[in-house]
Amino acid sequence: MLKKISLSGLSSLLLGLVIFLFFGLFYAFHLHYQEQYQLFLFTADYFFERVMQPGGLSNYLGAFFTQFYFYPWIGSFILATLLIFFQRILLGTARNLGAAKNFFVLSFFPVLMYWGLLCDENYLTGGLVAILFVSLSNYLYTFSRSGTVKILFILLGIPLLYLIAGGSVLFFFLFLLIYEVNEKTRSWKFLLLFNLLGVLLILTIPFFLKNRLGMFPPVPSFVGVNYFRFPINFPVIVVVIGFLLVALPFVSKYLSSRQFPFKKSILIVQVIVFLLFGSWFIHRSVDFEREEIMEYDFYVRMRKWEEIIHKAEVKTPQSPLSVTCLNLALGKKGQLGDRMFEFFQKGDEGLIPDFVKDFTIPMVAGEVYYHLGLINTAQRFSFEAMEALPDYQKSVRTIKRLAETSLIKGNYVLSKKYLKILQNTFYYRKWATYLERAMKNEDLINQHPEYGVLRRMKLDRDFFFSDQEKDMMLGIILSEKKSKLVFEYLMAYCLLNKDIQHFVQYFPLGETLPYFTIPRHFQEALVYAWDVSKSEVIKDIPYPINREIQSSLNKYRKVYTSQSNPQSLLRKDFGDTYWYYFHFRN
Amino acid sequence: MKGLHFSILLSILFLGISSCAPEKSGVQKTGTHPDIFPDYVGVTIPEGIAPLNFRIEWDSVRHSELLIENSEGKSLRVRAGKTIKIPLDEWKHLLEVSKGDSLMFHLEVNRNGAWYRFSPFPVYISSDPIDYGLSYRLIAPGYEIYSKMGIYQRSLNSFDQDAIVENTLFQGSCMNCHSFRQTDAENMSLHIRGSQGGTVLLNDGNLKVLDTKTKETLSNCVYPYWHPSGNYIAYSVNKTQQTFHSANPKRIEVFDHASDIVIFDVKRNKLFSCDFLRSGKNMETFPAFSPDGKSLFFCSSKVDTLPLQVKDIRYNLLRIDFDPETGQFGSSVDTLFNAAALDQTVSFPRPSYDGRFIVYTRFNYGNFSIWHPEADLWLYDTQSGTNQPLEALNSNQTESYHSWSSNSRWIVFSSRRVNGLYTMPFIAHIDADGNAGKPFLLPQEDPDFYDMTFYSFNVPEFISQPVNLNLDQLEDAVSNEHIQLRFEEKNN
Repeated sequence: MLKKISLSGLSSLLLGLVIFLFFGLFYAFHLHYQEQYQLFLFTADYFFERVMQPGGLSNYLGAFFTQFYFYPWIGSFILATLLIFFQRILLGTARNLGAAKNFFVLSFFPVLMYWGLLCDENYLTGGLVAILFVSLSNYLYTFSRSGTVKILFILLGIPLLYLIAGGSVLFFFLFLLIYEVNEKTRSWKFLLLFNLLGVLLILTIPFFLKNRLGMFPPVPSFVGVNYFRFPINFPVIVVVIGFLLVALPFVSKYLSSRQFPFKKSILIVQVIVFLLFGSWFIHRSVDFEREEIMEYDFYVRMRKWEEIIHKAEVKTPQSPLSVTCLNLALGKKGQLGDRMFEFFQKGDEGLIPDFVKDFTIPMVAGEVYYHLGLINTAQRFSFEAMEALPDYQKSVRTIKRLAETSLIKGNYVLSKKYLKILQNTFYYRKWATYLERAMKNEDLINQHPEYGVLRRMKLDRDFFFSDQEKDMMLGIILSEKKSKLVFEYLMAYCLLNKDIQHFVQYFPLGETLPYFTIPRHFQEALVYAWDVSKSEVIKDIPYPINREIQSSLNKYRKVYTSQSNPQSLLRKDFGDTYWYYFHFRN
Repeated sequence: MKGLHFSILLSILFLGISSCAPEKSGVQKTGTHPDIFPDYVGVTIPEGIAPLNFRIEWDSVRHSELLIENSEGKSLRVRAGKTIKIPLDEWKHLLEVSKGDSLMFHLEVNRNGAWYRFSPFPVYISSDPIDYGLSYRLIAPGYEIYSKMGIYQRSLNSFDQDAIVENTLFQGSCMNCHSFRQTDAENMSLHIRGSQGGTVLLNDGNLKVLDTKTKETLSNCVYPYWHPSGNYIAYSVNKTQQTFHSANPKRIEVFDHASDIVIFDVKRNKLFSCDFLRSGKNMETFPAFSPDGKSLFFCSSKVDTLPLQVKDIRYNLLRIDFDPETGQFGSSVDTLFNAAALDQTVSFPRPSYDGRFIVYTRFNYGNFSIWHPEADLWLYDTQSGTNQPLEALNSNQTESYHSWSSNSRWIVFSSRRVNGLYTMPFIAHIDADGNAGKPFLLPQEDPDFYDMTFYSFNVPEFISQPVNLNLDQLEDAVSNEHIQLRFEEKNN
């Protein structure tokens, strides 16, 4: 079987496998991230809205593929297939031009570069689809030598490809131009007509369609395709790849026609260069820190609290967003007061991030408010995250959240609107249909383990949201609803801000909550508070404090007060205490 | 032989079609009007309106039959499923011959194999014509951040909608406050907010972009209203803030800290005002010229609580004389409606172009009525000086922005009645005595449109003809230097 597959075919398969495994094993959460920031709908309106702009079909197909990234292995397969398809088309083009077999490795370079680009979560699949369309057009062009066919190609191909793949059509025209100049048999009249037609079409079609197919400034209007999530950024590396896809077939052809002294070693040289360049390029492209944040965020989205804690136990998270996710997981599992200082903490920024006009931070912060029962705020943060998407997309995650928040607030009509939209998606259809049916039975919603609980958290007293007074807001909730999560968040907020005074002041708010013992870090803060006030701690403190914690504080104090550089000495035994955080962190 | 094949094929096709619509036997009468969306039962529509396509709000509807007939027996019939789409040409013809008449909608539906007949419902065809179309902003009902939005126009006798301008053209920008000189699409203004921002003015087809902030005024110009002559536009200038409710069906509270009214002299590129409209003790906003151009209506609230208590802000409806020849204001201000005395507030006074009525929005406090579910439309009769709620137009959700058709017989208004959040444009007939017919939701080709859209219809305005805004010119004008307005004090 393997004997029938050529070396180049085997290499393509191998590279495809590597890409597949890379995204499936190491970059799965980038795929989840991509999936949540779009909303692909199986509706005619969505199709026409997306397609009716330069490069629209590529954007549409890119979004179509991206919806499957919810299942990372399918996403990995799609990306590997698209990239390898790209490589095979390039190779086919080069061979049609007469390139020798042993130059096949050259066709891997643009693919490798696009793989590197896709390691950045802001490069979108539609861009790859557009490049594929252009490559495919170039490839098809090499099959015919008839002048009439060539003229038809340029007459129909440029307008059509502009609609399908946007400004990448330039690489189609460049390819055709070089191809025809290399054709020795062409008359100068043909070349003149050919070039004139091409230049005319390339210049006039985008000009004519500007503001007719979507309204965009000149450059984004010409580029068309959303290669990059931020349309304001010109995708320079895609242009480099575009030039490569034009040049490589001709370079391959040229090199094939040259006599090299060590012909057999040419392949080895190519492989070595490819491996070296590839390793360097992919290494500089990947960002595993972001992958980690995305993983935490995905677990929050899926309510996988134990996975979060387990992951943090293996490697404590460092970024504020990851810490936010971890703290939420600890809170949901009732461990925040006992364990939060076992992990790296990032102040109140890592507990409840402030609102920023961005599409990532409010999404995560909104999750925190949602579970705290501040449904209006959760709704707002998620909505704002969606609206901040620079490529004007809608977010399926947000639409789902809006359906939930409307449901919790009792606005079933509004919730049904969002569910109806989700019923036109691939992955969320089933959930949306189930929830819509469930709405017919009020008891079912009230008994729901999440929606029912959040409904019961509904406050009677309204107040205006204030990022600067999160403790006040948590206090107001607590004054109405006895929630351990809210209580622990309030206490954690004070602790993280090293605000012992307010911690002690707010602490009685949790008196009626069902605790067997006061969480460890709260005890640490209490004994510390009484200690600094020079009271006789055990005697005066009106809460049951574990004697071990008291004696631990004594040991800590002894080192802290007697050593000139106590931090390194205290880290080993007290690094997971509130006292250590209070004195040495942040 | 070929003929035989063709006959067999036709027979099969015929049988197939026949089997799609089951035989009607034992049709049950429901004794009620159908539950349909949009609710077109008993609405009053103009002759030139697009078909009233609707969806039957019953589960398991497989087939339906709709017969629409006028009093003279002229009719059209539609066979459909859950969604009824009326053929455009037949509908237009039926409306033409039914002007001033009413249409009866006879609807039968097949649900789980059984046929049901609803009580027929009327739709009244007014003989009062309506303008060419509507212009509105489409924007997601959000908070601080905005994604894609734009100003659009829609022909009323079809389903065609075009973008006049979208904010994707000026990245990162917001667009608002489109306004026309009494529905005249050749005289339009709108604001583009953002780094490239400015006020776009289309004046008899000529385009210019203005920088409306002066050192004497509080802000850029905000809420506009054209003088009937086209020589002036009244604007408010506002210091606005918004804050967010944490536990309330209301999401947002938008309010002013300060506001004034200025008049923009279109020919001289100058802003002017007077003490009555720039009083430090009051906040003046939502200006509107009377149709004869000799009065300016506006809303005004006292600023006597510091710090400002949002729930204590209440605006009254006032009027001041204005001389369009000299640009001079009157020496006193009349209170047309003292809403504050009733613990109420008003916004958006909009006089009918025949001068008879003023429709305004009335609600509990503040001036940003769209976030107030209790906000309703009221009618002030300038002849009798009486105020009455427009009961036929109001719902238990927000009714807010509104504007008149050029003949003053139709009003378009935004309402959140369908789902409590997404603002939708409703159109109602108002006769010469101020009696309102039941309003209808702007028809869409697919009745599911309103469920699937991400946008609110914001600031609906009638337009007498399509807006023709040259986007290339607009891009040039926006990117080039804007015309800086200057301010001058007029008189007291």
